[in-house]
Amino acid sequence: MTEPILSVRDLKTSFFTQRGEVQAVRGVSFDVYPGEILGIVGESGSGKSITCMSILRLLKPAGRIKSGSAIFDGQDLMTLSEADLSDVRGNRIGMIFQDPMTSLNPTLSVGEQVIETILRHRKATRAEARARAVELFELVRIPSAAERLKSYPHEFSGGMRQRVMIAIALACDPKLLIADEPTTALDVTIQRQILGLLRDLQQRLGMAVILITHDLGVIAEVTDRIVVMYGGLVMETGPVRDLFATPKHPYTRGLLASVPDLRDDTHRRLTPIPGSPPDMAHPPSGCPFTPRCPHAMRICATDLPPIFGIGQGARCWLHHPEAPPSLLPSREKVPEGRMRGPSP
Amino acid sequence: MPLYILQRLGMMLLTLWAIVTLTFFLMHAVPGGPFVSERMLAPEIEAALNAKYGLDQPIWVQYLSYLRGIVTLDLGPSFKYPGVSINTMIADGLPVTLRTGLLAVIAVVALGVPLGIVAALNRNRWPDTTVMLIATIGVAIPSYVIATVTLYIFALRLGWVPTFGLDDWRGYILPVFALSGFWISFVARLTRSSLLETFEQDYMTTARAKGLRPGQVLFKHGLRNSLIPVITILGPVVANLITGSFVIEQIFALPGIGRQFVLSITNRDYTAIMGITIFYAAALMVMILIVDLLYAVLDPRIKLTEASA
Repeated sequence: MTEPILSVRDLKTSFFTQRGEVQAVRGVSFDVYPGEILGIVGESGSGKSITCMSILRLLKPAGRIKSGSAIFDGQDLMTLSEADLSDVRGNRIGMIFQDPMTSLNPTLSVGEQVIETILRHRKATRAEARARAVELFELVRIPSAAERLKSYPHEFSGGMRQRVMIAIALACDPKLLIADEPTTALDVTIQRQILGLLRDLQQRLGMAVILITHDLGVIAEVTDRIVVMYGGLVMETGPVRDLFATPKHPYTRGLLASVPDLRDDTHRRLTPIPGSPPDMAHPPSGCPFTPRCPHAMRICATDLPPIFGIGQGARCWLHHPEAPPSLLPSREKVPEGRMRGPSP
Repeated sequence: MPLYILQRLGMMLLTLWAIVTLTFFLMHAVPGGPFVSERMLAPEIEAALNAKYGLDQPIWVQYLSYLRGIVTLDLGPSFKYPGVSINTMIADGLPVTLRTGLLAVIAVVALGVPLGIVAALNRNRWPDTTVMLIATIGVAIPSYVIATVTLYIFALRLGWVPTFGLDDWRGYILPVFALSGFWISFVARLTRSSLLETFEQDYMTTARAKGLRPGQVLFKHGLRNSLIPVITILGPVVANLITGSFVIEQIFALPGIGRQFVLSITNRDYTAIMGITIFYAAALMVMILIVDLLYAVLDPRIKLTEASA
């Protein structure tokens, strides 16, 4: 197997607030391989965004990375000096954010915001950087690219601004692109366009992508592998096809059951997951999903299960090698219509 | 843009006219006059003086002739100091006021803004608490207290600076400090809070995610957006400082126009009151116009367009 381009191990990040320590990320590990799209999925507060902000150490002052490593290209991003890390940011790792309306500086022209990134990491004259910016605008399909360099963010629509953000992130040919809910703030039709663009660019440029989202439709459509997060932990991980076909973790099953399927004409009701996510200021000692889990056992409330399984792994006692198979929820419990894999 | 400036200048003239009219009639509505004093003048002399300065005419005639003077930039003769025109009165006092005022403006920008930056960058650590403590004191203490206390310590006790006069550069230190102390503190606090707000913005995270160096993140992305509120108050502050302060000019015995202004009111020197009011109003309006033009430079979202209608 090829070497992973990014290896995150046992990452723990907390926010220190007046309420005390909020443990947003509680020991997350995953790998990203060259040229793949890894989806990180979870509801708000699951720690998925904080995980990615931690990788580039872009947390707000209240946030602190407590432990863990993130090996990228042989370097641990967690121990790199701030100056060395800033050589990686925007250069070998690009990042785009959720809200394109606020992620661009309103007082600088969009061209300048691309050009300054190029000038920071490449030995280029201003004219060369400008030419590259035009190239990038064409790459992300901004019409009349050369003229649009002079425009300001407020003269762009949300979708166009997200294209500018993508152009900035791709400015220095990154090996890894971290996309933190890149389509959440956009109109549905624009979401499709941006997503299509991202997948297209990923294939053309051959970079790896971490795509963070709470939208399973997005995941099914573009990702190769999935990391499902809940309560600051990885709950299940595996190839997208397997995960959609045979979700192992009750939480993953719940997630899939709560997605509407327009091809399903049986008028079956959507099944919401009852309850709400755990309070991360006082995380439970056992599996954080226990209070909401239909299969919860006594051990679940007290002991946190490890991840069982190779390839497709689930953090659930039901999948303990010695657990009696009768404990496993039968597949019929997940409605047939929800179990379709990603469309080819 | 040029049309916008022309429009603004037109509005300024209109505003000035309103200020002149209002001040003129308010001034005349108050009982008394420049030649009324404890020492009763002979009625004939008072009548002769009133006739000389046109005060015997109906008020609207006086108003019209004053307007005529203003249009030709003639602010009229002083009623109190015979043979002195208000134009020369302002011209005499202005250099002193302008010099101390501009030095104070420089102090406000050169100290207030950097102190605010230092505080914001060290939020809740000792440099922040120190700067904010001093700034809070600076905002709370009136300028005349700063003036007298520093005068006592540095001029009288230590003898480092002269007690009055502007014979050499050391003479400027205390008046400039007393004039600017409040505004340095105010601007430092404003810069700090504005920067802290900007630090929370998403585009600051973007700037860091691009790998920009800390200096680029702070000055190119942070400061530009944070300075808009600072520029806003700087306009009136400049107008205020360069038109002088009665108290400071009085304490340090500076022959500026701030002092003249207040004296002219007690003297009921009609033309002096009018002249200095017009001067102050004009300075304020010009500064506000400059600030509005600066906005457009700092923030491209602000488009200066001509009023439609």
